[in-house]
Amino acid sequence: MASAGSGDEKAAAAAMITLISSDNEKFEVTEATATLSQTIRHMIEDGCTDGGVPLPNVTSKILARVIEYCKKHATAAAGEEGSSSSFSDAAFLEVDRAFLEELEEFDDAFLEVDRATLFDLILAANYLDIKGLLNLTCQKVADSVKGKTPEQIREMYNIVNDLTPEEEAEIRRETQWAFE
Amino acid sequence: MAIPIPGGVCWPRPSCRLGADDATARRHGLDPDLLDPRKEKVLGFLYTFLPAPPVSAAATLSCAAAPESEDGEGGADRISALPDDLLRHVLARLPAKDGARTAVLSTRWRGLWHTAPLVLVDAHFLPLGAARPPRPGAALAAHPGPIPFVSLTCGFYDDADADRAALERLFTLLATKGVDELVFVNRPWPLPGLRLPAALFGCASLRRLHLGAWVLPDWAKLPRGPSFPNLQELVLGAVVMDNLDLLFVALCLPRARCCSQSLRSVQFCLSMVEEVAAVNAPCLERLFIWRCWSHHGRRIKIGLGHAPRLDMLGYLEPGVHELEIGNTIIKSGTKPSPRTTVPAVRTLALSLNFAVYSEVKMLPSFLKCFPNVETLCVESEVTHEDEPIGTLDLKFWQESGPIECVQWHLKTLVLREFHGEQNEFDFLMYVAENARVLENMVLVLKIGRYSAPEEVACKFMALDSARWASGGSKLKSLLSRLRDGGSLWSLKAGCDLSFGDPFFCL
Repeated sequence: MASAGSGDEKAAAAAMITLISSDNEKFEVTEATATLSQTIRHMIEDGCTDGGVPLPNVTSKILARVIEYCKKHATAAAGEEGSSSSFSDAAFLEVDRAFLEELEEFDDAFLEVDRATLFDLILAANYLDIKGLLNLTCQKVADSVKGKTPEQIREMYNIVNDLTPEEEAEIRRETQWAFE
Repeated sequence: MAIPIPGGVCWPRPSCRLGADDATARRHGLDPDLLDPRKEKVLGFLYTFLPAPPVSAAATLSCAAAPESEDGEGGADRISALPDDLLRHVLARLPAKDGARTAVLSTRWRGLWHTAPLVLVDAHFLPLGAARPPRPGAALAAHPGPIPFVSLTCGFYDDADADRAALERLFTLLATKGVDELVFVNRPWPLPGLRLPAALFGCASLRRLHLGAWVLPDWAKLPRGPSFPNLQELVLGAVVMDNLDLLFVALCLPRARCCSQSLRSVQFCLSMVEEVAAVNAPCLERLFIWRCWSHHGRRIKIGLGHAPRLDMLGYLEPGVHELEIGNTIIKSGTKPSPRTTVPAVRTLALSLNFAVYSEVKMLPSFLKCFPNVETLCVESEVTHEDEPIGTLDLKFWQESGPIECVQWHLKTLVLREFHGEQNEFDFLMYVAENARVLENMVLVLKIGRYSAPEEVACKFMALDSARWASGGSKLKSLLSRLRDGGSLWSLKAGCDLSFGDPFFCL
């Protein structure tokens, strides 16, 4: 089994990438962290990261959060690789579980943000093409809608109902099974 | 007709996350008190390993609603401002009812749900407190697809004409929607008159199919022609297959298509089968048979034909399974030849009772069929007193002739669990003295006292100090995690093609 430090050592040896937010703030991150973003990965592959990667769609406030997420998940991925081939009966499942639990706790805490930040994170995750973060943030929105009535959802997200009463009645008739 | 569960089936222990807890059972609409203990065990096993739906009715993240923003953006409708793609991403994470209801939010939302992928889970339709089983037909009819995942596990389908017709309709509809993965477990149990709906075989888009607790349909009534041309993974658990042809169909039908077969992984567990045959399976990488049995105690036939990529195979039971390679039935004296060997297999798992002569006698012949095995997992069964016990001739292994995989390729041998039988020692000694590239010989010791501990210790030391062909002793021992013995088999590990050690040997 690899020692716990191997992930960090590997990361330290790797190249650093500079990310530049829309308000011109610079962030130094390891390549392992940056390449969780497919968008940045492709830029690195194309060799256009010298002098930093400008990200005109992402503010420094949001970029800092995104980097926090990527750092954690990049470390977790490295740790998992290092520990996969231990002599085990059911140890495989336990190692797996410990990693997942730790990540889940992190994700949960990470999502304790206000609504504007949540939507900014969704847009940033989409733009940077970070699948895990996009799934996580969209899951958060989906969870908030589950089991709610349309009225509750409209109120929660300030959605203005511009359907005529007739239109609304028609849709409700069509999807009656969903309101039972 | 209920599935006869064989006696002496050992169950993996909770250390392996087995034994469905109440919460798991309820997810599938199962009242934990409803079944007799044996059936509950079987369904519990299946439920534990069924792929969890990617969408759940409950919020999966701990704090469901994000608070209002403090920076004055509070009144803006940020969610409706998201691009369609991202809204679909959100909608795809909702149960069908929740998703469909968003259509009445505003004109922005009208029609969006129909364009997002649908995850259909019948347990999401369980009416609160009502005795009526869920019927997701209306949701299915309302959505045009695609449907990446369908889980039907709490249908409480009955052997009534109405239910049979409803099932046929459901799958006829499903076949038109582009289903990727289907989990279909009958609840509560296979009924003699209620067979798997034939319309299921029309779902050509399926890539992964998990079937549990069903009686397979009458082949004669199935549509002719290819079924499941895209299927990569098939798991059949607690399934009654009384029709030999169907098995042939499940594994080999695409042969009739003349183009390449798609299946990569197949598992049969706790099922009643007559024959498992990979006659022409060019893509098949994994074939697992776990605790299956056949009518009237007949031998299950395992047929291996054209399977050039078959890398992992288990659990074969020498002397219990009848192994047929190509057109040759492997007997105790069968000489290995290109027509009787499967060179692709590198990981092999066997299950046998070392105290039963007829089983040990077949062990060398089985091993000779797989000349390139590098990892061998042997599950040593518990001896039952009523079974015929025979001691092997001292020269049995010497006379068995060279076994190619042992001599030249075997790197890891795991014997689980070690009972201290003389026949076990003889086999281990043979491996020790003949395996030149062996790196690990691991004995997983049973929990509990050996009947003659000093004798076992002596033999153990003799084995350790034998003349190891690999240069020195590679003997290691572990204590079993399974209090009552049994198997570590996990459907999930078997299905995961990226997980290279489904027999837990490395």
